[in-house]
Amino acid sequence: MREITIVPLQEFEVPLEAENIRPDIFATLSLEEIRDLEVWEGNRRRYLSDLFSVAGNDGTGECLIRLDGDFSRVKRIGEGMREGEILVRGNIGMRAGSGMRGGSINIEGDAGDWLGREMRGGSISVKGNAGNYVGSRYWGERCGMRGGEIEIEGSAGAYLGDHICGGQIKVKGDAGDFPGASNRGGAITIGGDAHLPGAEMVSGTIVVKGRARVLPSYGFQETAEIEGQLLWKFVGDLVEKGKGELYVALVEDDGQLDK
Amino acid sequence: MIIKGGIVYDPTNGIFGEEMDIFLEKGKVVEEAKGKEIDARGLLVMPGGVDAHAHVAGTKVNTGRIMRPEDARSGLEPKTKLLRPCTGYTVPNCYAIGYRYARMGYTTVFEAATPIIESRHTHEELEEIPIVDKGALTLFGSNWEVLECVRDDDLDKLAAYVAWGLRASRGYGVKVVNPGGGEAWGFGTNVKGLDDPVPNFDTTPREIIRGLVKANEMLNLPHSVHLHTNNLGKPGNYTTVLDTMDTVKDITSTRDRQVLHVTHMQFSSYGGTGWRDFESEAPQIAEYFNRNDHVTMDMGQMIFGNATTMTADGPLEYNNARLLHAKWSNHDIELEDSSGVVPLVYGRKMPVNAIQWAIGLELALLTESPWKTLLTTDHPNGGPFVNYPEVITLLMSKAKREEEMATLHELVAKRTVLPTIERELDWGDIAVMTRAAPAKVLGLAEKGHLGVGADADVTVYDLRPEKIDPARDHKRVKEALGRVKYTIKGGEVVVRDGEIVAVPRGRTYWVDASVPEKDAERVQVDLVEKFEKYYSIQKSNYMVQDAYVTDPVVVKAGVI
Ligand SMILES: [Zn+2]
Repeated sequence: MREITIVPLQEFEVPLEAENIRPDIFATLSLEEIRDLEVWEGNRRRYLSDLFSVAGNDGTGECLIRLDGDFSRVKRIGEGMREGEILVRGNIGMRAGSGMRGGSINIEGDAGDWLGREMRGGSISVKGNAGNYVGSRYWGERCGMRGGEIEIEGSAGAYLGDHICGGQIKVKGDAGDFPGASNRGGAITIGGDAHLPGAEMVSGTIVVKGRARVLPSYGFQETAEIEGQLLWKFVGDLVEKGKGELYVALVEDDGQLDK
Repeated sequence: MIIKGGIVYDPTNGIFGEEMDIFLEKGKVVEEAKGKEIDARGLLVMPGGVDAHAHVAGTKVNTGRIMRPEDARSGLEPKTKLLRPCTGYTVPNCYAIGYRYARMGYTTVFEAATPIIESRHTHEELEEIPIVDKGALTLFGSNWEVLECVRDDDLDKLAAYVAWGLRASRGYGVKVVNPGGGEAWGFGTNVKGLDDPVPNFDTTPREIIRGLVKANEMLNLPHSVHLHTNNLGKPGNYTTVLDTMDTVKDITSTRDRQVLHVTHMQFSSYGGTGWRDFESEAPQIAEYFNRNDHVTMDMGQMIFGNATTMTADGPLEYNNARLLHAKWSNHDIELEDSSGVVPLVYGRKMPVNAIQWAIGLELALLTESPWKTLLTTDHPNGGPFVNYPEVITLLMSKAKREEEMATLHELVAKRTVLPTIERELDWGDIAVMTRAAPAKVLGLAEKGHLGVGADADVTVYDLRPEKIDPARDHKRVKEALGRVKYTIKGGEVVVRDGEIVAVPRGRTYWVDASVPEKDAERVQVDLVEKFEKYYSIQKSNYMVQDAYVTDPVVVKAGVI
């Protein structure tokens, strides 16, 4: 596969919008044309080569993009991508892989907010932590993630998989507030703790292998074994006449829950 | 300015496709003028478009924007040296509304419903809509003072209150939405027919409609009562509408216009007993219009895709939200009405939506006189106003209708008569439905035509009516209707080749109607009590001040 390596020439003070950093866009372009792609630095129009060194194979063809350095202020990388691969040796900014349909993004550092927002296919992995709204929807939309996979070795922020309609999210560490809100068919696994998972869930599953506070609108069903661990199984959210499945290892109980 | 050699359609002045020059000076059409020449040789020329019913400003529009952040992801247009940034499709921002109307050749738009108490907000938004002239219709149909006057059969006091309410809201006309229903909704119920009593007020929708129509004519207002019927949106509601129109037939209009305008008729032309046997009764409605001259209507054409319904019909929106499991906003407007907002998607394969789509077209095609059927989509209830070119081409081309019907649920062929309608409207009909008739229905003497003294609002389309056949080349026609060659507003070129080139401020029409002092005083006695006891704000803070209407056109009317 053709490889292109991008290294920031400076530390960015103003956030960048770089939705052109996308393997399937690169695939059709020569190195020179890639260097001429547009990037916005705040409200200023720039070219990729103004802000980054761009090196690698010339010619066209399916593409692996290596991002070396700190991209935590570079937004929208891999947005809407359909194929190819992005490998980030460092942190990546907001909205990475949002709306992506295929290919993969592998991040060795941390990811910002809105990672894989409304993605439909492909895979994203993060070695570090991820921000808020991983695999979620933009506010007001009916569906967040509809397909594909997101795996996070560290922890995720609030609104993990908000309005998820399909696909899978796995977080090894903790998730913040309201993971899997309005779930309609997605699968979320959280290795650590979470707060109030599955509000307004209609269908799909959420597994919390650590501690979680469970909404009073969930009905306890039985205990169940998942990957060798005994978990409490709930069904809800009954507010939505939901049939979603919520599994929790340690239930934070304030006496309201009927189990 | 001279617009040279256009093929002019100006139905008000009996001009249908004549080659002529138009002279503009100081914002008006004149006999003869010098100056800049606009080359319109062979091109289709009409007066600037007039939209008599759209929801473009006020709290419910803003509620739609707040409820639909996702809507703002479409329709993005970055700012330029001249233009402000635009967002949105069903609930565009204020700038987008002005620019998009202008690009379609429209120069006037009337906001269809503002409660008096929220009119200051309505005007704040109208002020920010550039280019087009504007006005707002004021809601009266579930207002306590109105209900009491109607109950007491005190028409003089009712007229005095209407005059005061128009002044308080800087409103242009009397809007009535599901009369009595807004009040009933405060108690969790609705009125189900014209003779269903309004809770606590010992009156009925029939009495409210008749009372307000009579008061409207006593005040000699430029526009008639503008009615959103009872039972709107419900299967079988066409009988309610026929009954409604008959109930005002004996009242004489004091002006050369209808005595009642029934709005977005598509939503009121339904047959069947429920959604399963839902069918079109548009032929019955059109037949009524063909036999009667005291009423007018607008289409309320439905457009497939995203819409945001917003109306003072609170119980209707509750039903919509429950039926579609959609987002819902519900609002109680103190002593004046209720309202609701529900976003939805109209689907081609949904039987009900396919039939609704056909009903709007049936109404326009089966009603013989285009003067009785204004072209609207009840923006954004039936769909966004940017789809007017789509609606126009559907009316002008049977081939296009057939292409569309082939993509719809098959019930459209069984539950409507649209497939059997051969009629194709011509440019004269379209000029009436989008210019001459809306101006006449609203009572705007200087709009919708190109006679001497008219406002210098002109549209030049990049279409050669003598060469193009809209029935066949509907794609090309639709494109040209959406991106006009020139829009001239108040004598200034605002759009050239589909691009905005100038952004003047539009003016706002409102009606100042005089009433006898003794009646005005009786209203004030009632109002003092109502504000003390019930309103959340002081009477002194209630009126919209002139500062909120910086370019007013005050139309005088009244009893004395
Ligand atoms: Zn309306």
